[in-house]
Amino acid sequence: MANIPLNIDVSWIEPLQQLLEQDGPWNKWELFQLALAAEEALAVRDFDQLQCLKYLHQIEPLPHQRETAERVLNEMRGRAILADEVGLGKTIEAGLIMKEYMVRGLAKKILILVPASLVIQWTKELNQKFGIAAVAQKKEYMWRQYDVVVASIDTAKRDPHRRHVLDIDYDMLIIDEAHKLKNKRTRNYQFVKEIKKKYCLLLTATPIQNEMDELYNLINLLKPGHLGHSTTFSSNYVEGKRQAKNNERLKGEIEKVMIRNRRSDGGVHFTSRHVQSIPIQLSPEEMELYQGVSQFVRDHFRSGLGGVNSLALITLQREVCSSREAAFMTLYNMYQRTAEDSPARQEILRLVEMIKQIQTHSKAAKTVELLKQINDKVIIFTEYRATQNYLQKYLSEHGITSVPFRGGFKRSKKDWMTDLFQNRAQVLIATEAGGEGINLQFCNQVINYDMPWNPMRVEQRIGRVHRLGQQRDVHIYNLSTVGTIEQHILNLLYEKIDLFEMVIGELDEIVERLALSNSLEENLTQIIMESQSEKEMALKLDNMGEVIRSIRRKEEPKQILTQFSR
Amino acid sequence: MNQLEVRQYVEKYFAAFSAHVIEAHPDYLTVKLPPEVDKDIGNRPFYWSWVEKMNITPQPMILTFLFHPDRPPEGIRHEPLQFGSARLLQIFQSAAKHGRFVCLYEQGQAQPGLTRRSTALTPWLGVNLKLSFICDKKRDILLYLGVNLHQPRIVHHFYPFLRTRLLSPAIPDYYYTLERNIDLQQAAAMIRQEVEHVIAQEDAQWAAEARKRLQEELDILEAYYAELALREAEVDDEPPKEQEVVEHKPSPTADSLSPQVSPQIVRNTHAEEAVPEAVDLEQFRTNGGRILDFLRQNGIPESVPTDQPQPEWKKSTPEEEKERRIAELRWQYEPRIEVNLINAGLFYLQSSPTVVADNLRGNM
Repeated sequence: MANIPLNIDVSWIEPLQQLLEQDGPWNKWELFQLALAAEEALAVRDFDQLQCLKYLHQIEPLPHQRETAERVLNEMRGRAILADEVGLGKTIEAGLIMKEYMVRGLAKKILILVPASLVIQWTKELNQKFGIAAVAQKKEYMWRQYDVVVASIDTAKRDPHRRHVLDIDYDMLIIDEAHKLKNKRTRNYQFVKEIKKKYCLLLTATPIQNEMDELYNLINLLKPGHLGHSTTFSSNYVEGKRQAKNNERLKGEIEKVMIRNRRSDGGVHFTSRHVQSIPIQLSPEEMELYQGVSQFVRDHFRSGLGGVNSLALITLQREVCSSREAAFMTLYNMYQRTAEDSPARQEILRLVEMIKQIQTHSKAAKTVELLKQINDKVIIFTEYRATQNYLQKYLSEHGITSVPFRGGFKRSKKDWMTDLFQNRAQVLIATEAGGEGINLQFCNQVINYDMPWNPMRVEQRIGRVHRLGQQRDVHIYNLSTVGTIEQHILNLLYEKIDLFEMVIGELDEIVERLALSNSLEENLTQIIMESQSEKEMALKLDNMGEVIRSIRRKEEPKQILTQFSR
Repeated sequence: MNQLEVRQYVEKYFAAFSAHVIEAHPDYLTVKLPPEVDKDIGNRPFYWSWVEKMNITPQPMILTFLFHPDRPPEGIRHEPLQFGSARLLQIFQSAAKHGRFVCLYEQGQAQPGLTRRSTALTPWLGVNLKLSFICDKKRDILLYLGVNLHQPRIVHHFYPFLRTRLLSPAIPDYYYTLERNIDLQQAAAMIRQEVEHVIAQEDAQWAAEARKRLQEELDILEAYYAELALREAEVDDEPPKEQEVVEHKPSPTADSLSPQVSPQIVRNTHAEEAVPEAVDLEQFRTNGGRILDFLRQNGIPESVPTDQPQPEWKKSTPEEEKERRIAELRWQYEPRIEVNLINAGLFYLQSSPTVVADNLRGNM
């Protein structure tokens, strides 16, 4: 093939000439050989095969991740939308592709734009898993000083940063959570469009959230004109906002730029989940306490209690479902804060007295029974420190070894506790799902001692053990005291909307589509605290479940997407 | 490179600098870095400039390299060394820096004690080259060329041949060197010719394919921007443009192009499209609404838009955008070949590499 531009380095002739004339100083033969050996090891012998794997020792990419990296390299030429469903490792795929281009010497200057909350995590992962010296952008000079920079798009698009970013030729641009760029009229979209880039990866689990246009916009960011002009696109492919036509052709076009691995493809094997509710009958005294506390909370939630805010009352309501120890501390603090002449003080004292009278602890007793029956490693989750401490004592009295685990532990202590749990103790009692990179997959039994009111937190708990790498089926036991709020919550969130049956990651998508991650919990609180009667509360919760269910059923945009998947 | 190869490499590297090995454990290696090495891989340039300025005796750095990451030594600060480690890359670079040019003489098998007759050594220029074939992908070929400077000719696989010889930096007794009949420039010209010959024989399919891809992409781009321009003239939907028109420079061209449509109206249509709900969840809630009602009223609400169109944004024109995109495509696809020198040397040889090289050609 003629006319391929050829550039032969001749800069060596002169220095060598000088050495010849002065006869030295020459280098050593040993180092000459080592220099060549290094180049031989680093040389890329093949156009198509993944080179990066021999450089990576901290990760073992899954088959679908490798295949994705290969397709992006060989078919998509380094410009692609990575649209795997949540939990399949888009970050790993992006890291592989990035590393591959770096190893081949085709990418040096790389920009990674992510939401502000993920900057540190991305930086860490690239360094630890991929040996890529990425830095989190903090100061203006860093744009030019460092080759691989992770930054938030909201910072990057503002001056003075914008000037630098738009001025640099980036060998590679990576954008995480790229669905935020679905609207081409936004400043973020325009900004990304103007960045000069050779290779480009857009990462999103939801390339279509609502409309076909969103996907069109994403693709146009990657390869302007790939789907034609927006009007042509609409007339060719769009039937309704969420309905495509000429599916086969559109599918073909989209496959050229987008890869979407799905959990159901079976490439990744998640073990099954078995969920079981464990009903617990409270003893009469315990029930009396529960009702006493609930009445107290409801009475004072509206009227207000001097010195005690409603948050404390909400907490109390939750705690009494967990354990009386948890409730006791809160009641004690409340007592301290109320005025001495307040009538509420008497009520609190009465409740505290009730706690003191109770001899049984039905939930803890049931837990011991369950633990003996399981006879394997178990993680118990509770929301409260007091419950955690009590449980540890209670279990040890019954001859069961356990270790505590809290989000506040230092990293080394977390590792130590994990180690103890793995090798010495039967039970880990955790107050928080907490801890990136804490490896608990050796355990497959989870007891939810109490139920968080936010379903994302439950998902996070289970996610600690039910994830890539779990070899066995996962068993989840939900303790539910009959006739209490706990039972209602379990009923609503975890049975009505099938939280436990959802595939890993699906909840994220639903919550994101609803834009209600925080408000779901708030609304639950509102319903529980403001209902005048049990019946009213049950009805309201029921309604809420229905609404969420109906939203879940509306899957049109996703169905379109399903057709595009391989 | 596997872990054993890494270890052997590193040991040879430190030996070449006569570094003091403090401990050579099967799993790890503890070394006191000699100054040249410390400067290359120690990551402390300020320390070295300070030491040199103040004329202080430097404190050598001691490093422990671990070759079995799962068997770390107790109580010793260590770092795993694997193919891909940043530190190993630094060692490679250091070796490249200190192993660039050599001048060596072949040690003869002839026994000079027996004969007083001197033997001639032929001067050779040995160059090791890396040829990189680059488009959106890349492949390398290494060439080990030797140029006879006395009787000009060029051979391949010169370096593998050299490895079989006994070489030393000093000329042995009873030997003399033959004259160099061509200079380096002339040798470089021969090398260039040979490189071009090698390239001509390589399959150039990769370049043809890359050019085809480039052309396809350029065609798509051409068609897209042509249509864009056409639609634009008709009254178009590129709203940021209109916003600019409205809010910045009331451009006479836009008005004259589409006098029948007021830009204001166009904008409103788009504003409606961009934000379908007049009220979002947050607003609804702060107004005292409940999420339940909100959900009922709105069906599936859109996620709250994170940022709004900003009118002060100065956007590129479609022409600028197109130019930028074309530049990106050429940067990405256009095939090219780069040839770089890895290292080179003068070799004075008693034996001739021709036969060996031809034999090796089949094996490599």
